[in-house]
Amino acid sequence: MPDKFDLAEDVFSARVLIVDDMPLMQKMIGITLQKAGFTNLLYADDGDVALDMVATERPDLVILDINMPRVSGYEVCKTLRADAAHQNLPILVQSASEAPEERVAVFESGATDFVSKPINQPELLARVKMHLENRLLIENLQGFRAHMRRELIMAREMQEAILPKDEDIAEIEEDGDLKIYHRYQASYELGGDLWGLWKIDDTCAGIFVLDISGHGVGSALNTFRVQSTIARFSKYFDDPAEFLKRLNESLVDNFALGQFATVFYGTLCYDTGKFMYAGAGAPRPFIARENGIEKLDSAGVPLGISRDAKYENKTTHLDVGETLFCYSDVLIEAKTRSGEMLGEEGLSQLFTEHLQKSSGDDYLGSMLDEFFGNMDGLLPDDLTAVSVQRNGDRGQP
Amino acid sequence: MNYNIDCDGASATVNFDGDITFSENMVFREMLKSLNGLNVSECIFDLSNVGMVDSAGLGMFLIAKDQTENAGCKLRVNGASGHVANMLKLTKLTEVLDA
Repeated sequence: MPDKFDLAEDVFSARVLIVDDMPLMQKMIGITLQKAGFTNLLYADDGDVALDMVATERPDLVILDINMPRVSGYEVCKTLRADAAHQNLPILVQSASEAPEERVAVFESGATDFVSKPINQPELLARVKMHLENRLLIENLQGFRAHMRRELIMAREMQEAILPKDEDIAEIEEDGDLKIYHRYQASYELGGDLWGLWKIDDTCAGIFVLDISGHGVGSALNTFRVQSTIARFSKYFDDPAEFLKRLNESLVDNFALGQFATVFYGTLCYDTGKFMYAGAGAPRPFIARENGIEKLDSAGVPLGISRDAKYENKTTHLDVGETLFCYSDVLIEAKTRSGEMLGEEGLSQLFTEHLQKSSGDDYLGSMLDEFFGNMDGLLPDDLTAVSVQRNGDRGQP
Repeated sequence: MNYNIDCDGASATVNFDGDITFSENMVFREMLKSLNGLNVSECIFDLSNVGMVDSAGLGMFLIAKDQTENAGCKLRVNGASGHVANMLKLTKLTEVLDA
């Protein structure tokens, strides 16, 4: 954003096109502006010349007479406004008529403002300066927005790059004879969710889902912090509770008060189906088995709150045909059209229904379609959903 | 989210009404400011009329806990049920917030 001094300088170097069929009027307006410090003045003696000059010279403001022999000021206004490139060009119309209906017609034709003839020089100057300042501020804001947008797009691409890569997922799918479906969607341009999947060895993989409190840029920056911290503790990947403990101790000094991360981390051994996990307050993942849904106990103090937080390993199994489903809290907390939250039970039903209906395809897609279909408005928080199925006879809940 | 503060000298009760989520950040901070001015030794957050709290809401409780403790005031959370109680249990903040 420019400060006041910059803005004033920009105003006086702005290009002003003065349109009047009377040379005397052109001169009078020109001298008024020159005396005030304007240096970049252009002149046209009729509407058609003015339109050509707007196209070639791109003025920042037009001072326009209404009554001209060939093309009137009204027509100039209408022609300019019909062109998207000139929709925000300030047009200051000058007219000898004081009739209210003429003023209405002037504004209807697309003029930005109106000055009466005979021209009152201080008033003309004040209006020219005001409209140029507005234009410059708007251009600046638009430029700033465009810049921010580019930055956010770049940041989002960087954030997507820290999520598991397709080839890494494919390798783990092959190692463990698994089918993995996943979705990640930020509520704003950037999100505070993160999920990961890594190979511990040829027989075992680790999976985590993490949600940083809040959302937007602050949370997104913390996902990078967490991601880089995780890499330091790779030797604890096979011990979920120890891994969370180490991660917590490292993050507790770095997270601001009120910020934390809820996490679920588990390891799956392909040979035995043993699934060992520890939770730090993430929503309870589901395992779909033949006889129903098991909800895993993911209770635990979120990371970043207390240095003394302890985490506990728990063990269950993910057998051939069974499906593990991990997700972020938006799926249970977002309000549906009826104003109710889906809740854990509602999500569990939605999950079961779509899993049962699927025939080995991406049930997660149809499930989330239904979820979004029942939602009113935009996603209130970031969404992560990861499904890990063990291939073989499909276990149906 | 709406709130009102009942104060009887040494103790203040904040009665919350509605959801406590990310978007209530400013209102919550405003509430903390008014609470700070009361100079009480005990503060109770009554969540009986709160339907849901998200992770940002829990974060705000932690900030409140820190702020009140620094001012020599003990903070307790009361009346949580349903989703709010589940959230406190899941994150084991029942202990931290004496809920």
